[in-house]
Amino acid sequence: MTTRRAFITGTLAATAGAALPLRHAAAAPKSMTVVRESSFIKPFDDYFAKTLAGEYEKQTGIKIIYEATSVGGMLTRLTTIAETKSGPEIAMTALNWPHLFDKSLVDVSDVAGEIGKQLGGWHENVLEVVVVNKKWKALPWGNIGQLEVYRTDWFKEVGVNKFPETWEDLLAAGRLLKKKGHPFGFELGHGFGDNHGWLYPLLWSYGGREVDRDGKTVLIDSAETAKAVDFCRKFYQETMLEDVLGWTDVNNNKAFFGEQISCTNNASSILEVGLRQFPDIAKVTDHGMNPAGPKGRFHLINALSHAVLVHAPDPPAAKAFLRWLYDDKQMSRWLASANAYYAPFLHGYDNHPMWNVEPRYLPYKESLKTSRPHTWPGPQGPAAAESVAKYVLVDMFAKACRGDATKDVIATAASQLKQIYKAK
Amino acid sequence: MAVGPASVARPAPLTGRTASRRSVLERESVFSWMMLAPGVLFLLAFVAYPFFYGIFLSLQDRRVASAGTFVGLANFVAQAHDAVFWQVTRNTFVYTIAATVLKMVGGLAMALVINQQFRGRNLARAFLLLPFIVPTVLSTVAWMWILDPTFSVINWTLLHSGLIAQNFSWLGNKTLAMVSIIMVNTWRGLPFYGITLLAGLQTISPDLYEAAAIDGASTVQRFWYITLPVLKPVLIIVTMFSVIFTFSDFQLPYILTHGGPANATHLFATYAFDIGMSAGVLGSGAAVALAMLPALAALIVALTLYLRRE
Repeated sequence: MTTRRAFITGTLAATAGAALPLRHAAAAPKSMTVVRESSFIKPFDDYFAKTLAGEYEKQTGIKIIYEATSVGGMLTRLTTIAETKSGPEIAMTALNWPHLFDKSLVDVSDVAGEIGKQLGGWHENVLEVVVVNKKWKALPWGNIGQLEVYRTDWFKEVGVNKFPETWEDLLAAGRLLKKKGHPFGFELGHGFGDNHGWLYPLLWSYGGREVDRDGKTVLIDSAETAKAVDFCRKFYQETMLEDVLGWTDVNNNKAFFGEQISCTNNASSILEVGLRQFPDIAKVTDHGMNPAGPKGRFHLINALSHAVLVHAPDPPAAKAFLRWLYDDKQMSRWLASANAYYAPFLHGYDNHPMWNVEPRYLPYKESLKTSRPHTWPGPQGPAAAESVAKYVLVDMFAKACRGDATKDVIATAASQLKQIYKAK
Repeated sequence: MAVGPASVARPAPLTGRTASRRSVLERESVFSWMMLAPGVLFLLAFVAYPFFYGIFLSLQDRRVASAGTFVGLANFVAQAHDAVFWQVTRNTFVYTIAATVLKMVGGLAMALVINQQFRGRNLARAFLLLPFIVPTVLSTVAWMWILDPTFSVINWTLLHSGLIAQNFSWLGNKTLAMVSIIMVNTWRGLPFYGITLLAGLQTISPDLYEAAAIDGASTVQRFWYITLPVLKPVLIIVTMFSVIFTFSDFQLPYILTHGGPANATHLFATYAFDIGMSAGVLGSGAAVALAMLPALAALIVALTLYLRRE
């Protein structure tokens, strides 16, 4: 027999239980804001803001507001959002930011699992940057690969009809091209992408590593690193312009379109801009994979992803939006609007029709297989971010290129890394 | 002239409360604080709070979006063992001293010239202010083009006039990169010196120069014994402000070189930003930013004491 107390408790619980979904339904947000770094591919941003956002509002009544930050400014914006615990509900992450902002990001493992199941599974190498303590903290939509962008006409002039397979072969081609007045221009300054884009792969391809998997053993002081540094010095002195030591990310694009350089490391944005604004240069522009070194061929991961902030008034609503956005019906169209600028980490898109439009973008898809995150094989944590922000690796190579001794530049880098990783 | 009865001109008597309010407001100590209050509140909110929060952060091991733990002076000790920090310190002093001296000499020359009577003087004064009026970000982007190896108008001029055989790498060479940011800072800061010193020059009575000329003083002597002593207080104040702005400069080096090549142009502000915002190590970034404080505080105290003595 039910006691009076049990009856009242049961009734209250049932009422509360029934009321909760209602309350949730009543509190469904009227709008949500998504902040992302402005894309180099304008149609990609436009498709999101003008087409997808409208479709979602029509289906759910929730207005999606798109906030664009300037290129290179997203980390500062994300820092402000996380520190003030206010602002957009959904934010773009890149590099290893999910690890940096771990505590500010909602676990989206459930959504990632569903998307993976629907679209052929995720590429394994992206897990290292978006999964933190076994929880997905961001959902990657694509990689911005850093490959070699080169002038096919000038390479042919010196008898190179196919992009060189190894660093040594590229050096040989570069010597000939510089003599012809077409030097290379690989960034060695304090930019945010085009420097690390080739310097980490170069180090790895010679067998060098910054730090071990344990994040405590600094490995930079090695014979392999010395070989990479020596090669880089030779590569710089014999193939490049002096100015690359001070370049930031805009300079190589300007130099390429100014017909000042014959080869650089960049995303596919050079060809994309060329096709629209410099058709004559675009005709003779192609992409090559990062050359291989004695220990293999490597590329750099920069997984652009969406993350849900913990301060979002309604995290399930934000996740629901991402679930909808990553559904093939939407994602497929959205990726296509970017002309294959973003290489998706989903195997279901390995043979997506977007790759057939311009075959010159295919190396960016191929490069995913050999892509690793910055500071690999070290852990993707705050120390890795500090190493990247302090340009430890870039400056090690840059100092060697301007003439400092190999052992000195490696010793300086080792000392900085030991301080950063708190290693002995 | 007819004057009405006193009772007509006399204001109506005040009620007790209004009278006491007015008498309180008329007290100088109250009124002056009322006038100061908006400024003080502004300074408290936007200067004092960030400053003390910066000190608080610098004493913590504080990563972005995480709780901090008190570590005392550990961040400062770590900086003392960081070779880049010392390079940044050297860079900041070289940048500040060189740019300040150039601005002081150039600004004084500019003020002396535009203080003369000549046709189109007002137009010249307006144009000279342009570098100071144009937003730094915008003018620095223009300088990026001016210093670009391919498109540099400086290189083009030097090359075509036969003065150089090959282009200078203004931003790629470590010495030239420092020279470049000093040059751009000087260009931007010169009008501040020029206009302020011009205001000082205009307070000097022409009688002094006339008397000196009658006594046979040369132009150099008049400058040395009249112009410079009268201008000295203005010069000191302008220099103090200029040193503070130059020492903590961020926009210009960040846009032009981002501290490169190989940290050759990294200053306190750019290095602190990279550590605090790009690496997310807020405690350490705050410690680097605070490293500017002793030098600036010493300068301000020294100049203030000097001014008081004068």
